[in-house]
Amino acid sequence: MAGPYSGLRVIDTTGLAGAYATRLFAGLGAEVIRLEPPDGSPLRYLAPFAASIAPPEDSLWWSYLAMGTRSVVIEPDDKDSLARLLASADVIFEDRLPEDSLIETALISDTTVRTSIVPFGLTGPKRSWKSSNLVAWAASGVLYATGFRDRAPVAPAGHVQLALHASAASALVGTLLALRAKRTSGKGQQVEISIQEAALAIAPETGVPVFLDDRVHRERSGNRRDLGRPFGLYPCSDGFVSIIVLLPRHWTAMAAWVAEATGNETITEEVFEDLGVRMETQELIDTWVEELTTGQTRQALFHEGQRRGIPITPVNTVSALLDDPHLKAAEFWSETQLPDGSSVSVPGAPFRTNSDWWTMSAAPLLGQHTEFYLG
Amino acid sequence: MINTNNDLPLEGVRVFELGTAIASPFCGRLMAHFGADVLKIESQLSPDVVRMLGSAWLKDRDDLAAAAPDTSPYVPEMNASKRSVGLELKTTGGRNAALALVAECDVFLANFGARALSDVGLDYQSVAAVNPKIIYVQLPGFGSDPDMPYYPYVAWGPNQAPLVGFDDFTGHASDPPAGIATVAPPDYMSALHAAIATLSGLEHRELTGDGVHVDVSQFETTLALLGPFVMDYDLSGTIHSRIGNRSLWGAPQGVYPCDGHERWIAISAIDDQSWNALSLLMGLDDDRFDDSESRMSQQEDLDVQIGTWTINFDADDLAHRLQNSGVAAHVVSTNEDLLHDTHTMSRNWYQVAPHARLGRDVFSDCAVTLKDTPGRWTDAGPSMGQHTREVLRDVVGMSDEEISQLVSDKAAFEQTEPETLVSRPWDDWIHLLVPGTDDARDL
Repeated sequence: MAGPYSGLRVIDTTGLAGAYATRLFAGLGAEVIRLEPPDGSPLRYLAPFAASIAPPEDSLWWSYLAMGTRSVVIEPDDKDSLARLLASADVIFEDRLPEDSLIETALISDTTVRTSIVPFGLTGPKRSWKSSNLVAWAASGVLYATGFRDRAPVAPAGHVQLALHASAASALVGTLLALRAKRTSGKGQQVEISIQEAALAIAPETGVPVFLDDRVHRERSGNRRDLGRPFGLYPCSDGFVSIIVLLPRHWTAMAAWVAEATGNETITEEVFEDLGVRMETQELIDTWVEELTTGQTRQALFHEGQRRGIPITPVNTVSALLDDPHLKAAEFWSETQLPDGSSVSVPGAPFRTNSDWWTMSAAPLLGQHTEFYLG
Repeated sequence: MINTNNDLPLEGVRVFELGTAIASPFCGRLMAHFGADVLKIESQLSPDVVRMLGSAWLKDRDDLAAAAPDTSPYVPEMNASKRSVGLELKTTGGRNAALALVAECDVFLANFGARALSDVGLDYQSVAAVNPKIIYVQLPGFGSDPDMPYYPYVAWGPNQAPLVGFDDFTGHASDPPAGIATVAPPDYMSALHAAIATLSGLEHRELTGDGVHVDVSQFETTLALLGPFVMDYDLSGTIHSRIGNRSLWGAPQGVYPCDGHERWIAISAIDDQSWNALSLLMGLDDDRFDDSESRMSQQEDLDVQIGTWTINFDADDLAHRLQNSGVAAHVVSTNEDLLHDTHTMSRNWYQVAPHARLGRDVFSDCAVTLKDTPGRWTDAGPSMGQHTREVLRDVVGMSDEEISQLVSDKAAFEQTEPETLVSRPWDDWIHLLVPGTDDARDL
C-alpha cells in the first residue's frame, strides 16, 4: 500500500526548521505543498550547490529536503489564492510567530492542525528572540560542554544542523499526535515547538536535573569523556577510532586484545577490572590502548574490535560511508534526479517497514505546481 | 461512543517496551506523556543502564541500596509516566508472561539488539504469532537482517555519532576532531523517528486493520540527516570537515569570549540585516566587511574584531542587547545558567510529579506541545517492578497466586523494600525551580 498519510494535504511555509519534517511526511504519503515566495524558499540559497545547475535550482539542501514535495508560488498580494489553498489544508507548518506570519489566523479552518516551530516558543520573555542551530545549542547547555578545554566551545556537527532537524522531527511527532486527536475531537489544534526545548530535550546529560543530582559543573573534556576508560577517540594510522568501554565484558575483551597485540600482560591484571581504578590510572590506560591503535587503520580496528565484541567504530567522513560494505549490502543508498537530468546518491528511507510506505520523487522546480493548484 | 474534545491522542493505546538507556525509552516516554499505557519491562539480572547509574548523593549509602536504582535523574528523563513490570525473560515463566502481555498490547517497542530479541523469543515473527495486529518497532544499531555485515556489531549512541561522521564534523578546523561524546544525538533522533513510525503504524492499522514491522536501524536513521553532504561528495568529490562554529552560508557566526572566566556568547549574524545591526552596535567603521563575500573571505579578521568587542561585556547583557537589535545570540549556557534561566522557567520546562521512592521528582518536560491535548505526567518514573502485580492481574488476568508463584520462581519481581523511602537533598527548594509546586506535602 502507499504511505499511511496518503490523501492528507500539508502546506509548508518553513525553511530549515521544518523542512526535515515535511520531507518525512511526504515520504509517508502526504501531499506536501511548499509555499514559496517569488524568489524561492530560503533553502534554495544554502550551500553546498551543484556546480552544473543554475540558481535557484542548485542548492543540495533544497534538492534533498524538498524531495517528494510540490512547489507553489503565490504573489504576496494574491490573498485569494492563499485563502483558497489554506482552506484545503489538513496541516500547516510555520516557522514564525503568529504576528509575523504570512497567514492570518482567520484564514485557518478549525479542522486544520497548525504546527509552529519557533526559536524560543510562543510564550515567555524570549519569545521574539532569533535563533540558529548554533544559538539553539548555546541555549541548551550542550555547546558549553563540547570541545577541548583550552579552546572555544564548538557546536556538535555544526554542518548537519542537528538542533533544527530535532525540532522538525519533534514537530512531525506533534503533528501526527494532533491528527490522531482529531479522530475523536474532529478539530485541529496548535502544535508548538520551541527550538531551544527541542535541543534541551535531547540533551538531559547537560541539563538541570542531572546537575542537581551530582552538582558537577559540566566542562569540556575534549574527545574523551570521564565516564569510563577507554572512552572516546583514539588515534590510529589514518585518523581516529571511537572506543566506548563501560561494561565489564567489554573491558575484559579490550584488555585481552591489547595484551595480544602489544605483549602488555599488565593490562589484564584483575585490578584494572575496577572502573574506578581505570579512571584513577586513565593516562596509563590511554597510553596502553594507543599502543594498540596507533599502528593500525580505522577499518582494521573496527572489524577486529567488533569481532571481539568491543563497541568500537571508525571516525568516518562521508567518503567512507558511501563505500561502506554494510550500507551497500543493505541497499541503503538511493538516488534522486537533479534538474539537469543527472543522478545523485542520497540516503534512503530513514526506517524500513514490511509494508510499502516510503516513496520519494525529486525536489520540485520553483513554482512547478503553481498552475496545477491555482490555475 | 462518547468522546470529549480533550481525550489524549494515545488514550487506549498500550505499549510493551523493552528498552535500555535512551533510544527506545525516550520514545516510550513521549507516548506515555500523550496518554499511552506504557509498560516498561525490566530485569534485575541485566538492568537498564539508567538503573545502574543511581544518584550521586546515594553512592556511599549501603543501607539505601534497595532504593538506588530508582533514584537516577535519568529515570524520569527517560521513563516518566510509565509503569514498570519486572519480568526475567530468560526464564520460561517470565517469557510466557511477556507473550501474554504482548497479546494485550498495541505497540511493541524495543532497542535491544536484534539477536538479543531473538534469543528471548520476542523477534517480530514470534510476537506477530500471538498478536498479528501489533505495531512492532525495533531500534537495533545496525538493523534486524541477520544477513547484513554489521548485524552482530555493538554500538552505543556515543559510538554511532563518529561512525556517521558527526565527530569529524565537530571541532575547530586546525584541531583533531573534538567529538560529541557529551551527548548522543543519534539515540534521540532514532527515538523521534521511532515515535513517527509508531504513530504511522497506528494510522496504518486504522486504515487497513493490519499490524506492521518497523526496523529503525540507528545507523541508517542517523545517516538520513546527512543528505546534502552525501550528494556533494557524490557530485564533486568534496569531503566536508569541521569548521568550528562557522557557517557555510555567511559570516560572521561564532562563539566569542565575554567578561569573566569561561563566559562565552554565540552569535549568528550571517545575513546583511543582522550584520548591519551588529556592526552598528559594535560601532565598527570599516567598509571591508560591507558585502557578504568579503565577510566570508575575511572571517579570521572579522572574528578577531568581534571577540575584542564582546570581551568587554557581561555575556547575558550582551545577548539581550544583540537580540533587542535583531541579532540571533545567546549566552553559551552552563548548567548553572540553565538553573537560573527565567525563560525556560516561565514556560515550566521543568516538571514535578509523584515518585514512589522519592515522594516527588523533577524532570524535563516534553518538547512537543499540543494546545488542546497537552499531555500529562502521572508519575516521575516508576520504581523497578512497582507495577508488576497490578499489570499481570489487570492486563493479563493472572491470579495473585500465579503472580506470587512467578515471583518465587524468580521469573518476575516486584518493587524491593517499598518501605525504604528517601528524599532528594534539594527537595525542599524545588519550588524555586518549578513555580507553583511549593510544598511536597501537597502531592
